[in-house]
Amino acid sequence: MKRGPVVLLAVLIPLALRAARPQQTAPYTYHGTIQAVQLKAGSLDLITGVGMALRLVHVQTTSGTHIANGSAPLALGDLKPGTVIRAECHPSDHGPVADRIEKVAVP
Amino acid sequence: MSRGPAVALLVATVTANHCNKPVNAGDALRGLSGAEQDRFRRGRVVFDSVFTPERGLGPLFNATACGECHEDPAAGGSGDEVEVHATAFHTGAACDPLAGEGGPVIQLKVTPALKAALGIDSEPFPRDATGRGMRTSLAIFGRGLLDAVPDALILSYADSADRNHDGIRGRPNRFVDGRIGRFGRKAFVPTLDEFNAGAFVAEMGVTDPPQPTEETIGGAPIPPGVDPVADPEINQEQLDLTNDFVRFLAPPSPAPLTNEGRQGRELFSRIGCAGCHIPTLRTGDSPTPALARKTFFAYTDLLLHDMGADRADICLGLATPSDFRTEPLIGLRFAKRFLHDGAATTLEQAIKLHGGEATGARDQFNGLSGARQAALIAFLKSL
Repeated sequence: MKRGPVVLLAVLIPLALRAARPQQTAPYTYHGTIQAVQLKAGSLDLITGVGMALRLVHVQTTSGTHIANGSAPLALGDLKPGTVIRAECHPSDHGPVADRIEKVAVP
Repeated sequence: MSRGPAVALLVATVTANHCNKPVNAGDALRGLSGAEQDRFRRGRVVFDSVFTPERGLGPLFNATACGECHEDPAAGGSGDEVEVHATAFHTGAACDPLAGEGGPVIQLKVTPALKAALGIDSEPFPRDATGRGMRTSLAIFGRGLLDAVPDALILSYADSADRNHDGIRGRPNRFVDGRIGRFGRKAFVPTLDEFNAGAFVAEMGVTDPPQPTEETIGGAPIPPGVDPVADPEINQEQLDLTNDFVRFLAPPSPAPLTNEGRQGRELFSRIGCAGCHIPTLRTGDSPTPALARKTFFAYTDLLLHDMGADRADICLGLATPSDFRTEPLIGLRFAKRFLHDGAATTLEQAIKLHGGEATGARDQFNGLSGARQAALIAFLKSL
């Protein structure tokens, strides 16, 4: 397979996600549904928004990000697409970085 | 318990409240304070305001004003505009609203500046979409009352396991943050204020404080210089006024029933329509006395129901492509097209296009004599 299209996608997709990111400049808590989890990159894509104006937010985690389901600690790999979370983030030059991710119980 | 006697009593009660003077389409709720009536009037001005690119319109949009699509027979009524929604549905996976590709609302118009920059006439249709949904422009009368219905009442009508074996499996949808939804054809949006705030952005490209971010152009950034107005493009007071206008829009009084219409109302319940189109709902507490603890004609349970494969289009939240919210029948007599996609131009067609959980009621309608079918239609045309 030619590498060109793959390289192009590898460049364009992060750019598109970054472009779609709400530009928060202060600590912010996102409430949303996980669209995808990138284990190797330690990040996830979160669907948030207001009404029918939905946005895709790319959230980076670090080794210091606390992930939990109530009092039970979780790993990033425990989070699956479709899971509802609340992510407390701080801004960075590369987008929001999660300080705490809480799995939200949905009946 | 059979719903029949309770419904009859509630119908009589609600009817009695409307006996004095009919409420017309576009009127405000009865019982608003002077200050609330003032906000209703000022909100209508914002609702009818025409946005231009210099005032924040676009760069992607479907309409230039709320009132462009909600206008007939009065502000807050229906319109002939039909828009496009797109999502991706894969069995066993969560619904993808394609937010990263410009979904779920696909804007059909662009500003001159965006056209000059990219040479496009509408937002590109998402390449990953598995479904395309056509959405007519609804009348929005009585939405403040629907907003004030407690979640607990909606959940009390849910029967996802069909425990009563009537073939009806109502279930709530949920927004991306897990809250119960009720607005939109898929019952996706939890509150009226959020629906309006999202509509400014998704329908007009006008950003507001709750959603201050323009969407991308099919996932790509907006070209520099195309959208020079600083975000948010309207302020909170403009949004609040619009919310109050919509919240205070009264449901029009049903037209007086003839004998035929009364027979049709009875048939509506008897053949099973009222299993989903629940005639009356009751609001809970509200800071607006005119909205608090009111019983009103709604003809919906605000739940999702499978309408059959023939009507299926997109997923959204927990709704599969064939799941749709029971349409409220408030102001039905003013509608020109019926069903979520406008596929029916008559009420008879609309009933005959019901499938899935409504198959039983549809088949019973088809089995009625011509006179009885006409009676049921006469009732619907009174709403």
